[in-house]
Amino acid sequence: MKKTLLSILLGFCISIGKLSAQDILPKDSSEWINFLQIQNQIPGLGYQLVFPPSLDSLEVQTLKLDLTKSDSGWVSGIREDFSLLAQVESDRVNFKLLYFIFSSQNSEEAVREYISNLMRNGDFDPVTQKVKPKEDLVALAVKSPYAPVFGNRYTFTADLKLFVVTLIIGFFFITALLMIISMLILKARKNRREILKKEYEEMIVDPLTNLLFEKELEELSKMKKADYDPFFPLNYLSKPLYQDVLIHSIIGLNKKMKGEFKEKLKAIYHQLGLDKVSAAKIRKSKWHIVSEGLVEINEMDLVECLQDVKKLSDSSNFHVRSLAVSALLNLSEKSDLSFLRDQTYPLSDWQQMNYLRIIKFVSAQKQLKIEMLFDSKNKSIRIFGIKLVRILGRVDLLERLASIASQASTEEKIEILKAYQEIGAHMEVDFINQCLQEEDLELVEQAIETAKSLGDENSVILLSELFQNTDDFSTQLLILKSIYELDKGKFDEMTLNKEDSSRLKIRNHVLDPKLVYV
Amino acid sequence: MYSFLFYLILEVVGWMFLILSFLVISVNMVMMILSSLEMRDYLRKNQFADYGDIITSPIAPGVSILAPAFNEGQTIVQNVKSLLSLHYGKFEVIVINDGSKDDTLEKLITSFELEKSDFAYHPDIDTQAVRGVYKSPNRSYRRLIVIDKENGGKADALNTGINVANMELLACIDVDCILSSDSISRMVRPFMEETNKKVIAVGGVIGIANNCDVQDGTVTTYRVPDTTLGRFQVIEYFRAFLMGRMAWARVNGLMLISGAFGFFRTDIVRKVGGYFPKTVGEDMELIVRMRRFMCEEKIPYKVGYVPDPLCWTEVPENKDVLARQRNRWMRGTIETLQLHRKIKLNPKYGIIGTVTYPFWSLFEKNAPILEITGLIYTSILIFVGDFSAVYFIALLIMMYLLSLLVSSFSVLYEQIAFNHYKDKKDLRKLIWMILTEPLWMHPMVVWWGLKGHWDFIKGKGGWGSMIRKGFKTAEDKRNLSTQSTS
Amino acid sequence: MKKILIIEDDLLISSLVQFRLKKDGYETHLVKDGNEGIKAIDTLNPDLIITDVMMPFRSGIEIIHHAKKSQPHTPIIVLSSLGEEEQVVLEAFNLGVADFVPKPFNPNELAIRVKRALS
Repeated sequence: MKKTLLSILLGFCISIGKLSAQDILPKDSSEWINFLQIQNQIPGLGYQLVFPPSLDSLEVQTLKLDLTKSDSGWVSGIREDFSLLAQVESDRVNFKLLYFIFSSQNSEEAVREYISNLMRNGDFDPVTQKVKPKEDLVALAVKSPYAPVFGNRYTFTADLKLFVVTLIIGFFFITALLMIISMLILKARKNRREILKKEYEEMIVDPLTNLLFEKELEELSKMKKADYDPFFPLNYLSKPLYQDVLIHSIIGLNKKMKGEFKEKLKAIYHQLGLDKVSAAKIRKSKWHIVSEGLVEINEMDLVECLQDVKKLSDSSNFHVRSLAVSALLNLSEKSDLSFLRDQTYPLSDWQQMNYLRIIKFVSAQKQLKIEMLFDSKNKSIRIFGIKLVRILGRVDLLERLASIASQASTEEKIEILKAYQEIGAHMEVDFINQCLQEEDLELVEQAIETAKSLGDENSVILLSELFQNTDDFSTQLLILKSIYELDKGKFDEMTLNKEDSSRLKIRNHVLDPKLVYV
Repeated sequence: MYSFLFYLILEVVGWMFLILSFLVISVNMVMMILSSLEMRDYLRKNQFADYGDIITSPIAPGVSILAPAFNEGQTIVQNVKSLLSLHYGKFEVIVINDGSKDDTLEKLITSFELEKSDFAYHPDIDTQAVRGVYKSPNRSYRRLIVIDKENGGKADALNTGINVANMELLACIDVDCILSSDSISRMVRPFMEETNKKVIAVGGVIGIANNCDVQDGTVTTYRVPDTTLGRFQVIEYFRAFLMGRMAWARVNGLMLISGAFGFFRTDIVRKVGGYFPKTVGEDMELIVRMRRFMCEEKIPYKVGYVPDPLCWTEVPENKDVLARQRNRWMRGTIETLQLHRKIKLNPKYGIIGTVTYPFWSLFEKNAPILEITGLIYTSILIFVGDFSAVYFIALLIMMYLLSLLVSSFSVLYEQIAFNHYKDKKDLRKLIWMILTEPLWMHPMVVWWGLKGHWDFIKGKGGWGSMIRKGFKTAEDKRNLSTQSTS
Repeated sequence: MKKILIIEDDLLISSLVQFRLKKDGYETHLVKDGNEGIKAIDTLNPDLIITDVMMPFRSGIEIIHHAKKSQPHTPIIVLSSLGEEEQVVLEAFNLGVADFVPKPFNPNELAIRVKRALS
């Protein structure tokens, strides 16, 4: 890079120098004469040769220049052919030149000026070459030492370029080739797997159907692995893909079956040793295999893996963590939620959704200690606990909620308000009114919403105060909706007989039955 | 020696192109790797996901579907019906009639028993006047809201919908898109999954429905389009959606969510002031502005991406229409980059400022210009008989090969992940397209891009002075609209 | 022998149902998707149809529509993983299906319902 920069600079200087015509003309007098000689003729330029008077007539004769004698010495006629000078020079006689530009005499300085003018205008192109060297060119070349002058810079960078290009092409082709080959292999493997999977799936259907209908649950759980050989051949059973297909089929069926069939499927799963396969999966290091194992444990109720699952419930991998907690919720006997309480990672909505589904299912059979979650150090868990009160309709926990409400954070308060609203906790109206006076807009909006169904006379007063103090249109709409539900007279008073067109607009909106679901 | 300077320039430019092509190649390689990693993780994740839950769970967020309609009378009723039958618990469909000249509104009113309501429309975001908000007293159409407004363009129509929307999430779609019935539940998942970052938007894949069989909102039989223009776009869409955006999603650098199918968090969209109607690239501009906003507020955030095929659309198979579309895309890109040039190489804006922005301005905005200069350069080298012309021809061939590689990678990718085009003949047609496309389709796209540049310079469309000035902060747009209302 | 058409895309489920119904002495026919289902209704002229509401190519609703039009007296039993309150299921009831069996289900129970629908 440095080199390139340097050559840019250098090249720039040189080219600027070369561009000026004045500098093409040599300064040195003998070179100047040489320059003129090479040119032969320069348009409009003539010259006279002046020899010193000391020249004798014999010498004048040998010059053959038709010299005439004058005051300053021997003078020739005006000539234009500068090649004559070579002859004169070779005779080694001193002489001077008088210059004529278009027949009027001028100084050497003026001639230089004149020539450079001609060159600039393009009227004259000086011959720069020396006259052919008299010696042999090859002999000369041999004598001069090798010095790469200007071509070398090109060959050098050109080589580097060649190198870079080859490098890129090489890199490119190798990666491209590798990628395409691996893709093709992957595709072929996948295709083969697909075909095999289909084959196995069809193989499994009949024996599984037979087992489920022809055998009783007790028979199935007494059968040894070897007894299953006629149904699921043992040599196939050792193949991972076959195992996979079998596990998937049994789990898929288990999801869609009810009653004794579920138990039968579980018995088959155990007797075939597939529970061991699932248990081994959750000890693997790859998260997606662990996750698969967790799903299987959860679906097939493999209670014996509970200890291992517990260890995974605080895993740093999101999927492993949430699946482990799901499995725990489903399997643990005591319906103890302490492991959930002690979670350090924040709960995402996705996890909450999955846990909720299981908790809903489990809480039908046993009373869960949801209040445990209120003591969690993890805010998102506490919020989830409050949500559960609302969604499961746990009226018995309202008192607990009321006790934590005053110290709760804004988000928790919002959740508590939602729970009150859904369950219909009329006794907590003071808390709602208190929230109406808070700073946080989101909390206030939820309080307005909750007041709609649970508010009292105080709420109406607070709401109308709030209405005076807000410019926000959507908040105003919300407030008036609540006031309409609580006190129709107040609503009319606030929206009718007013010049304010926006209040009338809101009034019509609130009264439009079509907009109830909006 | 007189031409020294000339050669010097040739030399320097030569190096520039060499470095540039090296960049192009390595960027493509990196993207291939990133996208395959992301795809692998996604497919693994999907193995044990149960989407049935989201439909009924009370934890799942509500979704407002915004569908602007302009002169859609022919198809509007069928389209709205299929939107209303999507499998999801909590959602509303807001159709915005953007001053249609045909009978779009009338058809909606009769088919869905609509009546004009007393909806108190209050524009948070400044829009064209609303003529009426329609609802149906019939309970089975309770999810539908139809807004009738003065014409103001797609962005303006969407802004009107944003003002009316009641749900946590917005789904901005083209009304003529075919959505698969589980599309909402799949697109909502990324919003629900994140624990300590806020997911502000999620983008989806757009599939090409031309020549395919469609039933119940899902493409049942895939067939490659009949025209070469259509086939070219199949390849292009694979490259963009399966490779490009997957890779960007991996590093949380997504800067474009297709306007035909994108999900957003309502509160953030409102905070930044909705779409900017003065640009032709409103979909890209909104995402950039939202990301900027999150950076400026210093809230950790993410833009998600779902590679499942959930949305299909008919792409233009007519050359003029396609040319106009590409021209518009180019102008949209230039305008967005202009508007947000403050984030360029600014570490405050994280990956979007330091990586995505420079990438877009080099490889998307300036690509046609660079390609043309490269071509001119090579022809000059050939003309003056410079020896290095050989390398540049080699370089051109290499670029051709790169294009083959990337395209075939994307197609193989599709084959492995989804395997939609089952017919071997279709695959052969696509491969033929891959081979020939760089020779004649690509130059055309470059040409349309150049035209886009030219139209931008001439100031066609868009909003000249504002765009030239750019936004100082992400909230500028909001201030802008409040100023014009007061 | 009564003919029963089973339209169901899950291979295991359908063969379980088929096995159970064969035991009760019915002639059963199995198809995997909606398109085949519609064809089979016309060619087979079954005495009872068991169908899912969500399946490839054609929705269950379309099939019920078709069946009700071409053979209005053939009873239809809907077998589905969707809840009873789901929109599609309600729609199916409106079209006049004989019975609804939600998944998870018990094949023995299904057999009883089939018997009842055919009597």
